[in-house]
Amino acid sequence: MKIIASYSIKGGVGKTAASVNLAYASAKAGNETLLIDLDPQGASSFYFRISAGKKDKRGYFFTQKNRLLKQIRGSNYKGLDILPANLSFRNFDIMLNSMSKSKKRLKQILSSLEKEYDLIILDCPPSINLLSENVFNAADMILVPVIPTTLSERTYEQLLKFFQNNGYKKKIIRPFFSMAQSKNKLHRQTIANMENRHPEFLKSIISFLIEIERMGVHRKPALVYASKKSHVQSYRTLFNEIVKILDKK
Amino acid sequence: MKTSIINDTRYLLPDNLTKKHFLDSLKTCFTVKQVTNTSESFSILENFEWSLYSKKMMAIRHENQTISLWNELNLFDDETALVIDNINARAKFWWDFPDSDAQQTLKPILKLRALYPVYQGILKIEQLNLQNDEGKILIFCQFISICEPERPRSPIMRQVKISPVTGYSKEHKQAVKLLRELGGFKPSLPPMDSLLGALGISPAPYTVKPELNLPAAMPARTAVSSIISTMIEKQRLNEQGIINDIDTEFLHHFRVSIRMVRAAIAQLKEVFPQHDVPVLKQRFGDLARETNYLRDIDVFILDKERYMNFLPESMRNDLLPMFNDFEKKRQTEAKRISRWIASRAYRKEIDDLQSLFINGYSAVETEWSEQATIELAINKIQKTYKKIYKAAQKINNTTPDENIHSIRISCKKLRYLLYFFASEFNMKKIKRVGKHLKSLQDTLGIFNDLTVQGDFLKNYLYQLEHKPKKDIMLIASLGGLISTLYTMQLQERYRCIQELAIFSNESNQQLFRETFIVSPEAG
Ligand SMILES: Nc1ncnc2c1ncn2[C@@H]1O[C@H](COP(=O)(O)OP(=O)(O)OP(=O)(O)O)[C@@H](O)[C@H]1O
Ligand SMILES: [Mg+2]
Repeated sequence: MKIIASYSIKGGVGKTAASVNLAYASAKAGNETLLIDLDPQGASSFYFRISAGKKDKRGYFFTQKNRLLKQIRGSNYKGLDILPANLSFRNFDIMLNSMSKSKKRLKQILSSLEKEYDLIILDCPPSINLLSENVFNAADMILVPVIPTTLSERTYEQLLKFFQNNGYKKKIIRPFFSMAQSKNKLHRQTIANMENRHPEFLKSIISFLIEIERMGVHRKPALVYASKKSHVQSYRTLFNEIVKILDKK
Repeated sequence: MKTSIINDTRYLLPDNLTKKHFLDSLKTCFTVKQVTNTSESFSILENFEWSLYSKKMMAIRHENQTISLWNELNLFDDETALVIDNINARAKFWWDFPDSDAQQTLKPILKLRALYPVYQGILKIEQLNLQNDEGKILIFCQFISICEPERPRSPIMRQVKISPVTGYSKEHKQAVKLLRELGGFKPSLPPMDSLLGALGISPAPYTVKPELNLPAAMPARTAVSSIISTMIEKQRLNEQGIINDIDTEFLHHFRVSIRMVRAAIAQLKEVFPQHDVPVLKQRFGDLARETNYLRDIDVFILDKERYMNFLPESMRNDLLPMFNDFEKKRQTEAKRISRWIASRAYRKEIDDLQSLFINGYSAVETEWSEQATIELAINKIQKTYKKIYKAAQKINNTTPDENIHSIRISCKKLRYLLYFFASEFNMKKIKRVGKHLKSLQDTLGIFNDLTVQGDFLKNYLYQLEHKPKKDIMLIASLGGLISTLYTMQLQERYRCIQELAIFSNESNQQLFRETFIVSPEAG
């Protein structure tokens, strides 16, 4: 079982779009897949037409596998389950703080799902806090969508610094370009520069795609309704690239 | 989730429930979305032994000739079907299918048996999603109905399968409740049995091995009559398959059955009046001999692949003229045998023979005819074993092959005695004896096959003598084959000698002494 986190300090960069489509691609490829919507906003859950889970005040999520399993919902697609967002996720940090080994709780509970799933994808909210540190400890790969702008570059480097300063393994961080516009000169330049400086960038690039914006209307992964020829298929390419890297480990 | 148990629930619908009423009722609780709706003529495929059924599998041939293979638990589930390509639509045997995965799956199940339709009808499958207002699927629902081809509007079976979605057990319960209220009922049989039952088909798994349960105290002649009756019945079960030339196993089993009848007559002859025995032997022998030639050709053609692989690749095709030759000969001979089995002469003879045994062979008492079956069994089994181990002990590197072959025949006799009388003895011990015997028989069998095959090829070669020179490559490849078989035979001979030593050792003798006794627990 592998765990991928779709994570960025910045909001609105395409984390959820990536989580939803990668999870679908994974299930389609025959993996038993669980998408965990860690964002209390519940965007992933919404795209899969699943309403928020029952409020779980006491943080059973992090302690009891049975309670966790009860919250899981089958999606409309074979092999893909969703752990929907929960309003109590707002209090994750408070909850975690009160627990011992508070930075490894997520890793512990997720590793208990070894028998149930081949791949777990975490759709994370944008922030750095105790929850994200739990994510850093749990994930085999931190997938970071980066919009090719100068500002994003700075945020990305902040993340690398945080990893360095706090003793996390930098090599699990794998960024990819998100919402890239090939006609935009600034985008092209930033991509070239950053690829140069950061060889860890994945080869697959997700362009700015009108189909993604329509996900809210369709309430389905874009891969489901986009045509086979459309650029949305690059999420599949991205998934295949990720699998190759994870398999090598 | 990988570990979630398949928790499908099947319901049969009562005849008076219309489909419209069923759907309308569902709509009171759920948004019903039709995903697929198919209707096609289909056939259920099986072989004579019901091998798929015995493995809890079902094969269905679709209208487009593709075949879907399911495990019973996933019956009619598109996603778990093994879909088998059947382009030329004529595939009967596992080796006929173009896809090698399909071949490997089917090979150990079908063996040499042909698939054929046991039922033809119309299959309608409707896939429905039961959803909430948000368009979230809560339950997968499959509506299956089967109709006879003549009455496509009145289903003879209607089944609803509902499969829960993880996390929506409440909604699942609701659907179950609804189905119950509509009069839906859970079939009491497993999925395949309830389906076949509804279609009026009773699976009849078959094996040529008799399963006899002769009471130890039964008069010996009654027991032997019952053995022979059983085997004649088996023989006759194979007649139609030979007439229609469905697969080569029919003739094989036909012959095996007769061989067991003959073994019973010859080995247990003391229960019959002395002068009846040669007549009975002759009559059954004639039936078997009639089919010798066809069986020889069958065996030879079945081994085609193996023969080809013995030769360097460049020479393999040179053997083809010979196989073409035999395939032609087989066609003629199979037709002849088919006509023979269908003939009045054959039918009269076998009817006569069968009537002799069906109610117990009636004739004057003999020395053994009224003794307890178990006494006869012990006497015969011990004697046959003794004969084998005495002969085995004399075998060494210079013994002629003939002697080894004659031990093989005694082993076969012993095997048949065990089939006939197994129920009289301790089952565990019989199993052990059977295992030892099997390992010996396998080795002796390979040795014998190699001899037979070598002779077969040599005969073919001799009769080629006067053919023109273009056959030179065929002759060369035959030479190659014959020498390969000979080398293998020499090696196999060595293994036979080892196996015989094991079979006749002191501990095995002890096992036979212990097993074949009058025991209080058996009979
Ligand atoms: N490749 C894309 N092309 C065009 N629009 C996109 C693309 N990816 C995401 N978007 C749009 O950008 C917005 C933000 O995307 P998304 O929700 O995936 O980002 P996020 O990082 O998860 O945001 P948040 O931090 O709020 O969770 C959405 O409206 C989405 O439709
Ligand atoms: Mg998001």
